[in-house]
Amino acid sequence: MTEDVLVAEDVAVHYGGIKAVDGIDLTLTPGRICGLLGPNGSGKSTLLAAITRLVPLTRGRLVLDGKEYHRAAARSLAKRGVARTFQTVRLLPDLTVLENVQIGADLHGRKASGVAEAIERTGIGEFSSAWPGELSYGMARRVEIARALAMRPRLLLLDEPTAGMNQAERKEISQLLRDLREEGLAQLLVEHDVQMMVDTCDDLVAMNFGAVVARGTPHEVVQDAAVREAYLGKRGRAHA
Amino acid sequence: MTDWFDANIVLIQSTFVSLLLALSIQVPLRAGVFSFAGIGSYGVGAYTAAIVTINYEWPAFAAIAAGVVIAAAIGYLLALLLSRLGGLYLGMATIAYSLIFSVFVINGGELTGGAQGLFGAISDLTTGGVIGVTVVVVVLLALSERGRIGRRIAAVREDPELAMSTGVPVLAIRQLSFVVSGALGACAGAMNTLLRSTVSPDEIGFQLVVLALTMIIVGGSRSWLGAFIGAVIFTWLPSVLEFVGDWQTVVYGVLVALAAIFVPGGLLGVLQQGYRRWRRRALPIGGTA
Repeated sequence: MTEDVLVAEDVAVHYGGIKAVDGIDLTLTPGRICGLLGPNGSGKSTLLAAITRLVPLTRGRLVLDGKEYHRAAARSLAKRGVARTFQTVRLLPDLTVLENVQIGADLHGRKASGVAEAIERTGIGEFSSAWPGELSYGMARRVEIARALAMRPRLLLLDEPTAGMNQAERKEISQLLRDLREEGLAQLLVEHDVQMMVDTCDDLVAMNFGAVVARGTPHEVVQDAAVREAYLGKRGRAHA
Repeated sequence: MTDWFDANIVLIQSTFVSLLLALSIQVPLRAGVFSFAGIGSYGVGAYTAAIVTINYEWPAFAAIAAGVVIAAAIGYLLALLLSRLGGLYLGMATIAYSLIFSVFVINGGELTGGAQGLFGAISDLTTGGVIGVTVVVVVLLALSERGRIGRRIAAVREDPELAMSTGVPVLAIRQLSFVVSGALGACAGAMNTLLRSTVSPDEIGFQLVVLALTMIIVGGSRSWLGAFIGAVIFTWLPSVLEFVGDWQTVVYGVLVALAAIFVPGGLLGVLQQGYRRWRRRALPIGGTA
């Protein structure tokens, strides 16, 4: 049986009276892609921030490779094989594309490898010498993915990685994520593109108001009445 | 050349001292830390060098090293105390450190010479020694702007959260910037005291904060080169502007205001933008997605 990379139990993040995330359980396994689905404000990005220790937990337990880490510093997770992208593009404006990717590999010291491969896999080679301000939004997203891959992670957390991309580009990224899955990488994918989630993910977790409303295979989840109402709206329910 | 060097020896020495002072502000700014602790450290270095030279006749480099070590240690303590502050709050707290040090030396009795300061710090420090120390510092800082270290410092400045997510020790880099800032400020203060053989509380007041910040604003804060440009301009400008007589301060102020408004990245920023445009023309990138 494959050992879980990450286990989140009863994770809650409250801001005063607002329950941004409330009692989420999640398990991420090598070689599987788990998708997080939900409308804006449902708590997906907050959950990612909690998992990566960028926001403190109000309640709950986080376990990485069998060891609890919910009191660990955020930066220690990178060394333990956790890499992520952000909901908004976060590249360093004074560094070139190549240098922005190298930041990821820098984690492993001066002689770190993996930059060239990450650049090639994400298709940003011809932009290596460009500055982030010169890139399209979709291309900047690819640079973020390349930076995360250059960290040579065991667990990859992607927050809307295909936002700003056209359909062909989305398919390319979807294929890349599936290739990474075949290599044994555990992934958590947050996306709004339901079709991409169905095509890419092995498991789906749907959230609304900080809580899980459905979980299962992609087809089970998108057919779920609660998901249709929460995520697709009442029209989705009417057409079901 | 030798005649010109001899005639301008004081300005040449001041340029290198000013460069170290400006770097004491630029180094923390490069890591996103808005700290003026380098100015207080300038005072620590100046007084430490004066005291050990006058009372114990320490050689110049030992006197400078004493100031540097003490100021770096104080810098570390300040980092522990203040590293959770940011922006203007941190700036104010570190200016307070400089002002408190002024009060301390005024009331320091025989040790610091009170309001009169200390005289007779005669040392063997030469202009060559000042230039040598500054060149070593600049080379080390230039190296820190390149490669892995440079990228990690840029990440701490631009996006601490992203830096943490990629494993960069954000807090340690910020704390180190306090220590380096303290060492640089103290080095500048110690060398200035040993070159002039005197130090007084008037020299380490708020005007030093303004001078250092001005050099960084006009020169540019992202690299040692910006501090160098600022140090050259503001050390030599008063002698260049001698012909305007009493209007010198006004011209000086207008130049600083114009620089802050029209070249917010400093003169170095203008040069960097020009370089990027040139490089983009020389090496056009592929079509955008």
